[in-house]
Amino acid sequence: MPESVWNHCISCLQSELSPEQFNTWIRPLQLDQSATTNEIALLAPNQFIKSWVTDKFLGRIIELVSECVQDRDARVVLGVAANSLARHNRPRTQPVAKPQAAPQITREILPSPSPAPTPSEPRADRDVDVEGGLKHQHRLNTQFTFQRFVEGKSNQLGLAAARQIAENPGGAYNPLFIYGGVGLGKTHLMHAVGNALIEKNPNAKVLYLHSERFVADMVKALQLNAINDFKRYYRSLDALLIDDIQFFAGKERSQEEFFHTFNALLEGGQQIILTCDRYPREIDGLEERLKSRFGWGLTVAVEPPELETRVAILMKKATQQNLNLPHDAAFFIAQRIRSNVRELEGALKRVVANANFTGRAIDVELVRESLKDLLALQDKQVSIENIQRVVAEYYKIKVSDLHSKRRSRSVARPRQVAMSLAKELTNHSLPEIGEAFGGRDHTTVLHACRKIKELQEESADIREDTKNLHRLLTS
Amino acid sequence: MAIPQQLPLGIGLNDDARFDNFYLSEHSANRFALCAVRELLNPEGERFVTLWGGPGRSHLAQALCVESADLGWQVQYLPLRAVRDYAFEPDAVHSLLAGLEHMDLVCLDDVDAIAGMSAWELGLFHLFNRLRDAGVPLLITSEENPAHLNIGLADLQSRLQWGLSCQLHALTDAEKTEALQRRAEARGLQLPDEVASFIIQRVPRDMNLLFSVLDRLDRASLQEKRKLTIPFVKQVLGH
Repeated sequence: MPESVWNHCISCLQSELSPEQFNTWIRPLQLDQSATTNEIALLAPNQFIKSWVTDKFLGRIIELVSECVQDRDARVVLGVAANSLARHNRPRTQPVAKPQAAPQITREILPSPSPAPTPSEPRADRDVDVEGGLKHQHRLNTQFTFQRFVEGKSNQLGLAAARQIAENPGGAYNPLFIYGGVGLGKTHLMHAVGNALIEKNPNAKVLYLHSERFVADMVKALQLNAINDFKRYYRSLDALLIDDIQFFAGKERSQEEFFHTFNALLEGGQQIILTCDRYPREIDGLEERLKSRFGWGLTVAVEPPELETRVAILMKKATQQNLNLPHDAAFFIAQRIRSNVRELEGALKRVVANANFTGRAIDVELVRESLKDLLALQDKQVSIENIQRVVAEYYKIKVSDLHSKRRSRSVARPRQVAMSLAKELTNHSLPEIGEAFGGRDHTTVLHACRKIKELQEESADIREDTKNLHRLLTS
Repeated sequence: MAIPQQLPLGIGLNDDARFDNFYLSEHSANRFALCAVRELLNPEGERFVTLWGGPGRSHLAQALCVESADLGWQVQYLPLRAVRDYAFEPDAVHSLLAGLEHMDLVCLDDVDAIAGMSAWELGLFHLFNRLRDAGVPLLITSEENPAHLNIGLADLQSRLQWGLSCQLHALTDAEKTEALQRRAEARGLQLPDEVASFIIQRVPRDMNLLFSVLDRLDRASLQEKRKLTIPFVKQVLGH
């Protein structure tokens, strides 16, 4: 009965409200099938939506229910969906191939259960018996393995350290602190260690989580007066992997708790891996004692992948998906999408979807068409003028110096750097680049590019300069 | 004393957004976007699509909600331009986005509306991570190309570029005329070519505005029991 009544309400509300309002506030409401037959019990996805619906629509819902059951005292109860109910207790007209989630932890505080995996990204959530009958789920993404990680100069050190830890957890590299920009594979490395540890020892208690989740679990534990259970659980882990710890900044209570957990794990020889978008010392709003402890083990940087690695990433992705990606097409994408791996993956997705849609094979032409908007953006951002401006600012000289005939080293070197960047980052021909630098010959540009390449091998300063300029121009 | 107009019954014909009433001309480049959005209903398909440009973003976003609800999916649609004003403080944003990883599909309309709002950027970043960990399909729409958005949080910016990004291309005037006529037809209204052209030439040619003009004309023609002719349209629109 409640179902037919609720369906009646839905169709009335659908005609009364704008589609936007209906989709936002009414459609996500779910009829609680476990409620008694005498009431309509609705579940909202969260407290905010529940309050909003109570405030704006509950009166009308009660009216509609009363009309339908011809009872003025019809009862409508609004609650918030418990996690498991929202996704798994309702009929589907089509199998969605989402397996049942692991049973929910009875004591709510620890860590809230992982939802179900998708077929494309199976998650090997296991339940491990631990003290007090709590269920443990490692929350690792099984797709992120060492085998799927593409090694390059930019991530060599991080990868070597991660492999070492997978062999010998809790050893010299504890904690491992991986830092670097967004989308460069920090999370992948972290999961790879976790997956390798589980492979070696299926009973290992490994936990991956985002720093936000640590904070949320801790807050919940505090609210439920169960902080001791929280502590016991975290301290019982064999390996704790926490992503994006920069989000601890400013959260003093969480930092305090994490500090103690951190020390307990380290003393017990359990492995800790942390990722962050910056070097520990640079995290504002983080306690000094934490910053210093983060540096006790090994701190490694992950840099943006260089061209060869970007090509290798694309080729590996293509192999994993059984795609025929010609090398020149991969090269074309990698040359143009430089900032991070996520963007590279997004670009490849678009090319593949376009190839499937049009039934064409992937080639440079198709890539060019598929990524038209992104390429236009790149061209707009990285023009020769832009390179000259940024390089001149960086070396504190004038743009006109770059055009001039002056050959003193303080001007000639930046000019060579700018020419080499123009060759690498734009599609202009060498004569065009020469022309843009005060009408120089294309052989001068070629010489500049060779010179800078040589200097990058020899001089840490030039290496650093070109890396910084690259970042300034492409991020 | 003014005589109240007789109001038509509130049973408008059902022209809810659906995939099959999304206007496409014969060789429309927008067919790709439609397919990509529809793929989100395929459990084996892409999990994350960004849709930008327009018009038609909200139509496809809402169509996705309707069609996924038909499959028995639990779905949350959030028009960010509207809800950002209800939830301004970090706690409110957090509360509005809480638990959405337990839905079967999430649809965030107009993400450009929250660009530069740090509480929202952070909230969406965390939501994105939770959805991804849970494998929940996500559609994000934006007026601008997500790659151009002025998002302050780099972590969110890079994630926005991770999905399958599809552009909805603008319609030509001929396509707009045809889209208007098809919408009218779905409502049982006859919109002759010359009347459609008349409207297109006199009203700002934004599709949402054109459709709202059609709503007005629909109501007026119901009230006055008139067909849509140029004089009648002139009278209703005051031209």
